[in-house]
Amino acid sequence: MAETAAPEILPGTILEEGEKSKSGLEPGYLVVCWNDPVNFMQYVTHVFQTVFGWTRKKAEFHMLQVHERGKSVLARESLEKAEHYVHQLQKYSLHATMERDQ
Amino acid sequence: MKVVRGAGQFQLHLSQHEKILLLEVLKLYPRISSAHHRLSKSSNLPNLAADQRLLDEALAEQRAKNKQQLDELLANPQRFEETPKSLRLSLSRAEFEWLLQILNDIRVGSWIHLGSPEDLRPPLNEVNATHFWNMEMASYFEAQLLDAL
Repeated sequence: MAETAAPEILPGTILEEGEKSKSGLEPGYLVVCWNDPVNFMQYVTHVFQTVFGWTRKKAEFHMLQVHERGKSVLARESLEKAEHYVHQLQKYSLHATMERDQ
Repeated sequence: MKVVRGAGQFQLHLSQHEKILLLEVLKLYPRISSAHHRLSKSSNLPNLAADQRLLDEALAEQRAKNKQQLDELLANPQRFEETPKSLRLSLSRAEFEWLLQILNDIRVGSWIHLGSPEDLRPPLNEVNATHFWNMEMASYFEAQLLDAL
């Protein structure tokens, strides 16, 4: 699976306001999948396997967490990677968001 | 419909009725608006508004690409080969994955149009019955694709 490349800051480049700071590269963001009654359990397992390259067993574990607890934290990543995973999961119509790890 | 998994490809065997129903349900794509998904439930992310906009654009672009690919499939009746007992639609692994995404969008989008009910069998009336029917038709085909995985 393609990963989002980290932004390259060249020597002498001034980080403009609004650009992602170094903190955006630190793994402080959670990728969360939330329960909904509509997605098939088998489909959710398949999407987790596809997006994260997980084994069926691991994907089923997280799918059941979503189903039984209402949500599952799927990954703890940098801002860019978390955004990438949320996009991938939403592409499959799953209810996924990213949240700052408090 | 019967789905046969072969080496690197999937074959969907459909009756004439199923083919017509599949093509009709696929015409509903996309059912989820690109502005439906939220990047975060909280508001404490840096650049949330800009990142949300980028996400909306990326999803819109993805849907446009899917729609184009779908229109090409719908416009090409030769993709369905006649066999003595059925019509056969051969899909690569990537196309199979794509079709699964399309059908799930229609299923979830129809559920959203139903008002996102917790109970998947909500009381029906003449307004929401069509959304329910669309959701069920997408479910019928999606479930069979999932069984073939």
